[in-house]
Amino acid sequence: MPIRLPGGGNRISVDNDRCELYGICAMEAPDVFDLGQDGRLRFRKRLLDDSTIEQAKMAARVCPMQAVVLRGEEFDG
Amino acid sequence: MADGDRIVIVGAGVGGLRAAERLRELNFDGEIVLIGDEARRPYHRPMLSKALVMGAVRPNDTSLSSYIPDMDVHWRLGTRVSHVDTVERVVHLPGGETLWYDGLIAATGVYPRHMPGAPRHDPRVRIMRTVEDSMAVRRCLHASKKPAVVIGAGLIGNEFAASMRHIGRDVTLVGHAKAPLHRFGDRVSSGIVHEHHEHRAKLSMQSEVRHWISTKDTVGLHLTNNQLLVASVVVLAIGSVPSVEWLRGTPLDVTDGVLCDSKLFAEGASDMVVVGDIARWPNLRFDETPRRIEHWINAVESARHAAENLLVGHSSAKPFTPLPRAWSTLYDTRLQMAGMPGIAEDTVTLADGITGFIRDGQLVGVSSWDKPRAMLDWMAELNRRLPAPDYVPEPEPVVAEAPAPEPVGVSSEVPVEFDSGFDQQAFDREFESQFANDIPTTAFRAQSPPTTAIPAGSLPAASLPTMAIPMGR
Repeated sequence: MPIRLPGGGNRISVDNDRCELYGICAMEAPDVFDLGQDGRLRFRKRLLDDSTIEQAKMAARVCPMQAVVLRGEEFDG
Repeated sequence: MADGDRIVIVGAGVGGLRAAERLRELNFDGEIVLIGDEARRPYHRPMLSKALVMGAVRPNDTSLSSYIPDMDVHWRLGTRVSHVDTVERVVHLPGGETLWYDGLIAATGVYPRHMPGAPRHDPRVRIMRTVEDSMAVRRCLHASKKPAVVIGAGLIGNEFAASMRHIGRDVTLVGHAKAPLHRFGDRVSSGIVHEHHEHRAKLSMQSEVRHWISTKDTVGLHLTNNQLLVASVVVLAIGSVPSVEWLRGTPLDVTDGVLCDSKLFAEGASDMVVVGDIARWPNLRFDETPRRIEHWINAVESARHAAENLLVGHSSAKPFTPLPRAWSTLYDTRLQMAGMPGIAEDTVTLADGITGFIRDGQLVGVSSWDKPRAMLDWMAELNRRLPAPDYVPEPEPVVAEAPAPEPVGVSSEVPVEFDSGFDQQAFDREFESQFANDIPTTAFRAQSPPTTAIPAGSLPAASLPTMAIPMGR
């Protein structure tokens, strides 16, 4: 069942207890994730267009630690 | 496939799940039946030898999500397919039940290889295949304070050993190779030996089990190096065999997984595609030799590709030409691999912690020891050097660019970084059969390496592996 958030929209978060910073997400979804030279992961929290939504889904699917969490009408967790 | 068709997916692991998800994503509106022999819905198997066996997560935390609003899948869990008739297109289930299909997706994965002589009837001798297996190992660890033993020096064996040290248990890793993870190159192999030493995990390499001694409370192992180990639990992790028994008796070639064409369609059947560890297909990015790839990401990617190909039909389907990727965490070190190190003939140090794998003077794989950021650049570099061929059955040779203005990678500049400790014999043994159909892939002009990945001055661009590297072997 889709989770409806106040204000709507599709959101992304990363479970820091799981994430080990492999950066596979940055390879799959370069418009959403970035693994910096400092080894830190930065990402957009809101997904606005279809392209970034598809990228984010693929990043979530291939994340080795299954640490990418997607919430919103486009997804079913 | 058309409206109202039924697609049966056999295997409810990550491959089966991602295939079903992709079918719905592409608006397939027929019936999807997903058959799995385990009672659980798809879960994240890589956690079994790490977080789950350590007790860091619970079984339910391992479940995999799907990312579409409504999968609308009919699950048949706890059900093992007995056999298939690929001519009549019928799947046979226990009790005489039959299930017709218009399309079939095979995604049954692999099963841990049995070690001859190992007393699997002893409850302390375990494998690492399912959540229940992992929990059974935990019960053994609770029942006895004796050390754990793992046999097999591949990824699962090393992961398990590291997990045991992480929870404060003594552990011995037994392997017949000269070093753990030797297929990943010497940098990785020496790195993991060092890590095991630092964390006081015991290694017993180049040895095998001579005798097993089962007693009431423990299990003993007498090794060929005369060591005697007394264990609370022994995990067998000596590789795996494809789960294809259910396909015997069909016209398919199931000698090593299921032989497929480059589009993941099974040879010898129609409207059947194969996914994940059991698919033996030619990855035209590398050559035309069919091979299996037992990597988790490959299961995800092949599942999506195969589902799409099944829907559009064979004539419109596209070859599956991924750049394989794998990872592992050993203690706090992240190990990564990309490409096909297994087909390489030589290794070269590309940068700090980065090993390149070379065949015919061409970079075919990269491994990294705790360098995820640099690995992103090297995976992109590998992708540039080994681009996926155009979507035609026989890849046309890419027109080589004009010759480089000056010779690159001349032999005198290279050998210092060649890895002379590379175990050529082991490679030959493991991959002998795979060299039969080698076709030389087009040589690509040397490109500048990703500058970020290279410490200044450590590696001149001209010394990167190119076709000019002499291959004496």
